[in-house]
Amino acid sequence: MKNWKQALTLFRQFFLFGCFTFGGGWSIVAQMQKLYVEREKTITSQELLDITSVGRSLPGTMIGNVAFLYGYRVGGLACAAACVIAMVIPPMVVLSVITYCYTIFRENLWVMRAMTGVRAAIVPIIASAAVNLVKGAFRFPTCVILAAAAFGLYLFFNVSCVTLVVIGVISGILICEYYERRGTDRRDSDPS
Amino acid sequence: MILTLLKLFWSFVKIGFTSFGGLSMIPLISHEVVSNGWMSLSEVSDIVAIAEMTPGPLGLNCATFAGIHAAGIPGAVAANLGVLTPTFTLTALAAVFFQRFQNSHRMNQVLTGVRPVCVGLLLGVIASFCQTNYVVDSAVSPPAILIGLIDLLLLLKWKLSVPKVILLSAALGLIFFR
Repeated sequence: MKNWKQALTLFRQFFLFGCFTFGGGWSIVAQMQKLYVEREKTITSQELLDITSVGRSLPGTMIGNVAFLYGYRVGGLACAAACVIAMVIPPMVVLSVITYCYTIFRENLWVMRAMTGVRAAIVPIIASAAVNLVKGAFRFPTCVILAAAAFGLYLFFNVSCVTLVVIGVISGILICEYYERRGTDRRDSDPS
Repeated sequence: MILTLLKLFWSFVKIGFTSFGGLSMIPLISHEVVSNGWMSLSEVSDIVAIAEMTPGPLGLNCATFAGIHAAGIPGAVAANLGVLTPTFTLTALAAVFFQRFQNSHRMNQVLTGVRPVCVGLLLGVIASFCQTNYVVDSAVSPPAILIGLIDLLLLLKWKLSVPKVILLSAALGLIFFR
């Protein structure tokens, strides 16, 4: 019974997220960060980063994957399905309407102006999530270099996300082994 | 009818499994929907613009658009289910796997590397959005930048929620752009 209640709450929350997932789904991470990390504290910012990177590197749509992973994490399979379905319904309804009034929508200047404004909001929304997610993402100083490398490879060399995450996996193991061999494992003393 | 629905579903299963989100999906999507006659090439480029302006990622929006063109609302549902198939199979497996090994030492090492990569990716996405979202009619748009700065302040300083910021930006867009 409790599980159904939880699934229903998640359904409501993800339905709302779904209404505002502009910018290819990245703003959903921002919304989850605000609600689950800051307000409800159901997951930490590190866990959200983990979910995001796993969801991003698997095939399919990122928001579906991220929704599934979060739902499964907090309440198992039923909640995962609730999250995904709730998230998909709003874009589907909106686009169905747009498809039927395609030409009207395309030629309406008011709609275009409002949407240019919305597009300008995407960067600050994602940036505000990034600011909070950076905390606790770097366990060793070397990790900053790794982040910079990922940034450069993605932006300038069009390296795919899957490749980048694989690079992350390998360098993570190498970096940790290096620090552990030197006997300076800072995992316990690190405040993050 | 049933046959069209199955074809739609199967096309978008293929699209779902071979794409990793974002604009990398476009060549694949356009091949599938154009060769099946569900959309024309110019409609594909229109849908990219529309997908950017409406909620939801490109893959889902294309699925809805092509689905409705081919078979109405049932078509849209079939195509959307197709795109989501990887989520309900591969991601489901990953979720189980992830939960089980989360506290292992090796997983901890892996995540030490994956988290910085994700931060780098996030910054990369921000940079590429900066290149497109602040350019209106192929010129840098000061009003767009102003809206961006206002939003940033509202989000970081006053902790305004994302939906409120989006609605406010739409209103500002109506005022600023001529």
